[in-house]
Amino acid sequence: MDTVVEFRHITKRFPGIIANNDISLSIRKGEILAILGENGAGKSTLMSMLFGMQTPDEGEILIRGKKEHISSPLVANDLNIGMVHQHFMLVENQSITENIIMGIEPKKRYLGLFPYVDVQSSNEKVRELSKHYQLEVNPEDIIEDLPVSTRQRVEILKMLYRNAEILIFDEPSAVLTPQEIESLLGIIKNLRESGKTIILITHKLDEIKKIADRCAILCKGKLVGVLDVPSTTTQEMSALMVGRDVSLTLTSTEHTQGAEVLRVEGLTVETNDHIRKVDKVSFSLHSGEVLAIAGVAGNGQVEIADAIAGLLPVKEGSIFLDGQEITTHTVRQRIEAGVAYIPEDRHSVGLVLDFPLRENLCLKQYYQEPYSNSRGVLQQQQMDALATELISAFDIRSGSGAATLARSMSGGNQQKAIIAREINLQANVLMFVQPTRGLDVGAIETIHKKIDELRAQGKAILLISLELDEIMELADTILVLYNGRTQTIKSASTMTKLEVGEYMMGVHVEKA
Amino acid sequence: MLKKPNLIKRIFVYCCGPGKHQLLRVSLFCIFLSLLAGTVLLLLLGKNPLEAYRSILQGAGILPKTRYAGKKSQLTDFMSLLNYTTPMIFAALSVAVALKSGIFNICVSGIMVFSGFLATVLVGYSSLAPMIAKPLVILIGIVAGGLIGVLIGYLRHRFNMNEVVVAIMLNYIISYVVSFFIQTKFVDPITRQSVEVGQNARLTLFDYPIMNLKMEINLVFPLALITVFSIRYFINRTRFGFELKAVGLNSKASNYAGINVGKTMVTTMLISGALAGLAGVSYYLGSNASIQPRVLPSLGFDSIAVALLGNTTAIGCFFASLLVMVFDSGTTYMSSRMQVLREIAALITSILLLFSAIGIFFRALANRYAREAEEV
Repeated sequence: MDTVVEFRHITKRFPGIIANNDISLSIRKGEILAILGENGAGKSTLMSMLFGMQTPDEGEILIRGKKEHISSPLVANDLNIGMVHQHFMLVENQSITENIIMGIEPKKRYLGLFPYVDVQSSNEKVRELSKHYQLEVNPEDIIEDLPVSTRQRVEILKMLYRNAEILIFDEPSAVLTPQEIESLLGIIKNLRESGKTIILITHKLDEIKKIADRCAILCKGKLVGVLDVPSTTTQEMSALMVGRDVSLTLTSTEHTQGAEVLRVEGLTVETNDHIRKVDKVSFSLHSGEVLAIAGVAGNGQVEIADAIAGLLPVKEGSIFLDGQEITTHTVRQRIEAGVAYIPEDRHSVGLVLDFPLRENLCLKQYYQEPYSNSRGVLQQQQMDALATELISAFDIRSGSGAATLARSMSGGNQQKAIIAREINLQANVLMFVQPTRGLDVGAIETIHKKIDELRAQGKAILLISLELDEIMELADTILVLYNGRTQTIKSASTMTKLEVGEYMMGVHVEKA
Repeated sequence: MLKKPNLIKRIFVYCCGPGKHQLLRVSLFCIFLSLLAGTVLLLLLGKNPLEAYRSILQGAGILPKTRYAGKKSQLTDFMSLLNYTTPMIFAALSVAVALKSGIFNICVSGIMVFSGFLATVLVGYSSLAPMIAKPLVILIGIVAGGLIGVLIGYLRHRFNMNEVVVAIMLNYIISYVVSFFIQTKFVDPITRQSVEVGQNARLTLFDYPIMNLKMEINLVFPLALITVFSIRYFINRTRFGFELKAVGLNSKASNYAGINVGKTMVTTMLISGALAGLAGVSYYLGSNASIQPRVLPSLGFDSIAVALLGNTTAIGCFFASLLVMVFDSGTTYMSSRMQVLREIAALITSILLLFSAIGIFFRALANRYAREAEEV
């Protein structure tokens, strides 16, 4: 097979870190190449150089055998390279077609004088394109009405419309539900059948196993191996990626369930525009128990956690913590009563990004002794001491220690910082919402071990996740939510993954 | 293929680019640019710019003049500068504190009129002893300003009303209501302004004889200095300062962390309003003695640019206020000495304010050039 892209001795440095260290890699025409690596291993940096968002410090990139200086995404476009970003770049209030043709709008003139954008013919072109690649979309739909999976299709169509031959996918499955992932993998396979070259940046080993032909593994900026996927096991891949063996299935420690800690009765939550997100949900959570709430994204899981933390008002029902009703308590009262919360949105909720790491680690305790004295003056040394302690205990890596701005840290380390802060609260109830989203195998393993440890210590844990595997691995009890209602609540050992999946899709409807 | 960035860009990045003391360097760069623009302006008018700048400094009492009128000296000029700077310091601090928690307080002018008017009416025309009247004026300034501040903060938090719109409307309401009362009850028929306040209530002593000189002594200037340091301490070192900054940077995360966002906003505006109130009394019962009806003091709006020039830090606000007022008070002397129109002289101050307001733009531009330079 021909080589379409060749990296030759690529090195890229950022202040204090070598993101890519002497990487040489060639990509063949018509293959699916997976790029695997931990957070901060340099996958995204390597790909952003191919797409022209960064330029290498050393080394060269050859496209179709010709040396190219890819100085901007526009140049990449001309070389038929396209990229689907992890965070979609779409204009919400425009139609699919308008988004796709943006920047290369076909122009026509009224009466040969007044220019206008020819949307009609573009609609047709987009429709043809979507049929040809089996990416069914209606070109006239407005983006904000569409689910995430369709938006992703729009991003893919955007590349195809620009005649991209080399397609880069940056963690495409991170935002999708299991069913949507299946269909995405189908789409990617289809694209390969029609002769496109595909580069897939991902953490998920099973996806690689399913569709990739080869897999390049990066570890700490270095290329540690290029494997032929069909002849390699997932264990081998993950061992190379983290530089050590990872136990993929966690052996739960022995534990006993204790007294009831959190009880939720008939909880109903509505949004500001009176849409019922959570409808009469009841459950109780015991010390030493992991209760997982499973469900397809947007079925009310996050709202349950927000209501328990006090971020959303409770419409009906009550919440009891250690037998005390906390339904109308303020956020701070609940924190002090013992509710720790790792929120879904790290950037806009979990952290103050423009605060240094130290302030973020103290974000829930800054007002208490010893971090503030009785006259309301912050005690910098105490805050420093706490930050230093948590940074080393949780292995939070950052450019300049406690003084690093949270914004400049990698996603995995930001999440570690939040988890460190919440665990340090010594709360009895810990709510984890999507704790491992977008993290690498190594970090996921650490977090799973932490959760297991906390359970062994007798903490009550509410786990909300879209990853079925994660739920099956950790949960003692599973509550399945569908359209804001409880589908079922059962002991995890009595259910198979398939059953949970069916409940999630609303197949079994049981009277609760 | 390698392209070197041109020299001008490199110098610009060196001046304003990322690194140590970037904020300070950008501010200094803004000042430098405005001096440069002023130089061009003066050259176009056929004046010697060096001489002009020197006379500005002389007028403000930084450099000695060649001749002084009787009972005047460089010291009297300098004391007069401090007198005029005092309200600006308070006003700039007011803007800066509000900005730290993400609120854009453009109601400083309105609050100044409101607190100045209340103090004038309640104390200014009374015959209280100076020892009682003066502290009372300060107290009224703080309370009246704080009230308006709380109103803005409450409306913003409770009804999610845009504070800028509220502030613009309040500016109008205050200005017209106050001028109604002045014109119907307290008008001086000759000046068409409010009747001058009594010396007992005034916060500035005019023509106060010291060492055979006639001085202007602003009694609240020491208070302004103390306020600068207390605000700095308050923002950087206290629990409430932490909350204020957290809310300003990310109100969602602050709410999640248990900070009462509404209370923080209202309290911030209470402080910001109180500072603006202090600016009002030190202006209308200090450097001035009467209120001109239907005119909002331009100082209240200039203070926004001054706060930005000072990077919304307390110490920065102090130096920026001083600098702007040096220009403001020095230009009078310059215009008479250099035979430049008063308007042209005032233009130089305006240029400084203009450039200081766009410091953020320079910073962003320099950061972008620095990134580009790294990549090439």
